[in-house]
Amino acid sequence: MKNFLNILIICASFAFINTVSATPEQDKETFQKFYTERFPNISKEDFGNGVYALDQDAREQWEAMSDFPPYEDSLEEGEELFNTPFKNGESYASCFKNEGENIRQNYPKFDEERNTVITLELAINECRIKNGETALPYLKGDIAKLSAYMAYTSEGSLINIKAPKGEKALAAYQAGKQYYYSKRGQLNFSCANCHTEKAGRKARSEMLSPALGHPTHFPVYRLKWANLGTLHRRFTACDKQVRAVPHAGQSESYKNLEYFVTYMSNGLPINGPASRK
Amino acid sequence: MNIKYLFALLLSLYCISASAQPSTQSEAKAAIHGASNLWAQAKSAGHEWSTIKPLIAQAKKALEAKEYATAVHLAEQASAHSQQALIQAEHEKINWVNSLPK
Repeated sequence: MKNFLNILIICASFAFINTVSATPEQDKETFQKFYTERFPNISKEDFGNGVYALDQDAREQWEAMSDFPPYEDSLEEGEELFNTPFKNGESYASCFKNEGENIRQNYPKFDEERNTVITLELAINECRIKNGETALPYLKGDIAKLSAYMAYTSEGSLINIKAPKGEKALAAYQAGKQYYYSKRGQLNFSCANCHTEKAGRKARSEMLSPALGHPTHFPVYRLKWANLGTLHRRFTACDKQVRAVPHAGQSESYKNLEYFVTYMSNGLPINGPASRK
Repeated sequence: MNIKYLFALLLSLYCISASAQPSTQSEAKAAIHGASNLWAQAKSAGHEWSTIKPLIAQAKKALEAKEYATAVHLAEQASAHSQQALIQAEHEKINWVNSLPK
């Protein structure tokens, strides 16, 4: 009996170590499999439509609204901003590969030299600073419009985040993973509680969206906000909802979280900007 | 009435009135100071709750208005929230793995 118990404890310990120290590739497999098994009738790419992939009624209303998407004006403004040269004559295109077109799917990326995650919005602001302009606020406004335009030029391209390699990249990935699964705030909820464990179920009248596909459609125009917001704005709103103090846009915590959640959605097509409730 | 019972009743009334004495300014200040320390700890643990700051702000307002009992009560609430946030931070250091999809 004692031997049996010892074997049981050893097996449980191995299982625990395996789950925690799984490679990012293994994490992604498990993560995506979790959703495709829970929602077997939904194609992988449809997860990018969030709750509208799960709720037919809501989808019909959303599709009707998409004939005249509420973000259309902001998207046009984003294109105009993108194509307006800086005071020094340079443009956003000069800072990015492929002149900034069809690159959304490659962000965020880990910069080994700087030991930090580079998100698209951060790269936009760094481009501005490099060219003598001031940085834009990270959660909404012009940065969301620019990011929306850049996402639009990537429509249909598959998210292609490089698997974190190297100690520093793995540490950032692991920090993002831990953030996603840690409970916080007075309500004691983790991101995973709502968007993994309870995805597809309701919190009051609202269906909880699956985390698989979240990063495909940002920035989003939320009817609640009545304007476009970045992914970090959404993180901020989630933290506030569980009564935790949110971090600043582009804080290390949120950049690492974005790194983790986007890598989990690798292989899904970009379909942003989008509208949401 | 038996004199013993009367004495016991008077003693109880005295104890109740003594314990219900209004808080002093120094007690309120100490409570706010303690709450602020715990709040700083919750912040540095990365698990600050959004309820803490407003409670401390309200406690400081009550102190300014010389409502010391209210100030103590609010500061104690803020301390309790910070302590729970610290427990949460400690708990999640290990237990976040329980939410991993299986």
